Amino acid sequence: MHFLRNKRLFIILIGMIILVVLIGYSLSNRENLSKPEKMIHDTVGWFQSVVHKPINYVSNIVSNISDMKNMYEENRLLKEKLGEYKRLIYDVQQLKEENEELRKLVDKSDSIRDYQAIQSTVIARSPERWLEQVTIDKGEKDGVKTNMAVMTPDGMIGKISQVSDRTATVQLLTGFDQFNRISATVSRKGKKSIFGLIEQYDEKTESLIFRIIDESDKDLKKGELVVSSGLGGVFPAGLPIGKVIDVGLDQYGLTKTAYVKPAANMHELNNVIVVDRNLPTLDEEEGTNKKGDKE
Amino acid sequence: MIRFYIPLILFSFMVFEGVSQSFLPNSLVQADFILIPHWVFIFLICIVIFFEREEEYRSIYYAVIFGLMIDIVYTDILGVYMFTYAITIYMIKGISRLLQANLLSAIIFSAVGIVTMEVLIQLIYIVIGLIQIQWKEYVILRLIPTVIANIVFLMMIYPFVVKWLSNWKVKIEKEMIS
Repeated sequence: MHFLRNKRLFIILIGMIILVVLIGYSLSNRENLSKPEKMIHDTVGWFQSVVHKPINYVSNIVSNISDMKNMYEENRLLKEKLGEYKRLIYDVQQLKEENEELRKLVDKSDSIRDYQAIQSTVIARSPERWLEQVTIDKGEKDGVKTNMAVMTPDGMIGKISQVSDRTATVQLLTGFDQFNRISATVSRKGKKSIFGLIEQYDEKTESLIFRIIDESDKDLKKGELVVSSGLGGVFPAGLPIGKVIDVGLDQYGLTKTAYVKPAANMHELNNVIVVDRNLPTLDEEEGTNKKGDKE
Repeated sequence: MIRFYIPLILFSFMVFEGVSQSFLPNSLVQADFILIPHWVFIFLICIVIFFEREEEYRSIYYAVIFGLMIDIVYTDILGVYMFTYAITIYMIKGISRLLQANLLSAIIFSAVGIVTMEVLIQLIYIVIGLIQIQWKEYVILRLIPTVIANIVFLMMIYPFVVKWLSNWKVKIEKEMIS
């Protein structure tokens, strides 16, 4: 009996050591997943996508039925909006052409605004809700790399945190901490733009904290759109992030912070777009990037 | 053959945990309180209570393997679920002979197990600096809803699980005798 108790203690001790080693390993800034992890990600991802399809189909039908209630009212509104959009599309078209021509003139073909979109579907969401992660069905084979921005048509939702061959994990904005910053900007007509960093997600106000670095323009108003500035070197510029809901001083009273409500709904994620910046990003070495020679 | 059923069920529960957020109604997912599906864990407890003999330790191996898989697939921080699942299942195994195997004891053991496991996981996450939480809020917003939701799930699967597990147990015992 005495021996048995010792053995138990021994096993628990070994378990603790393994725990510490594994946590230490996974918290070290590793760039890529190890082979067995990738394999498990891919297998589980495959099953998830198989299970996800019928479930998604059924839940779509259910939500369609509930949508039908307000369909008439919405339809009327949308028809009104459509007229405006036609004009807008024409404007955008013209601006794009003009932009391209001007770019040719100055011989600068790449911009931090340009990106390639990789369409993908969300197949699972981490049950551990503190971490705010979702899994998508595109991976390394489809050109997804770590740190790429992920968005829905409404706005940015997060960035790729880990990639395996056929799936990838997305860290949502709502799970961002101090180590995942986005350089963002509020651009304005005529005046100087406001620059700052999206620092982290605040649970209490359910908004992102936007710390303003450049105090060029202090009169930030509620409802203004915050977009990514592309100056962080990873994301392309111009992805909408959210709207300002409140402005205040930070805890030391030194810099201004704004609370930004994310534009995209983080709970109803279905089809998302992985954004591959055309210009080489900071962490890519020269020569490894296909477009590297253009610069 | 029967031996393969249990890992298969555990695996499918693990897959469903990830997809669960998309088929739960939105009002539940977007509510203030947080429901965490611990279905793999619930099934492991059922195995301990209704299937395993006292000298067997298969459930703990399963706890280690599937805890590690949950870590890899859903949290990216290895070892946390693996360790807590294993140690909690081991604890439940130790006390599981105190009560007779029925629905009530299954509910009690699941509640005790989930509370222990959840608190352990939070402790580890706090120690490694992943989260900062207020314990009071945590208990009200996450722990209690999670325990209730998982016990509802246990009650839903209980009739099938007990039937299957006791059937398999009888079959395996017959095989061992013959």
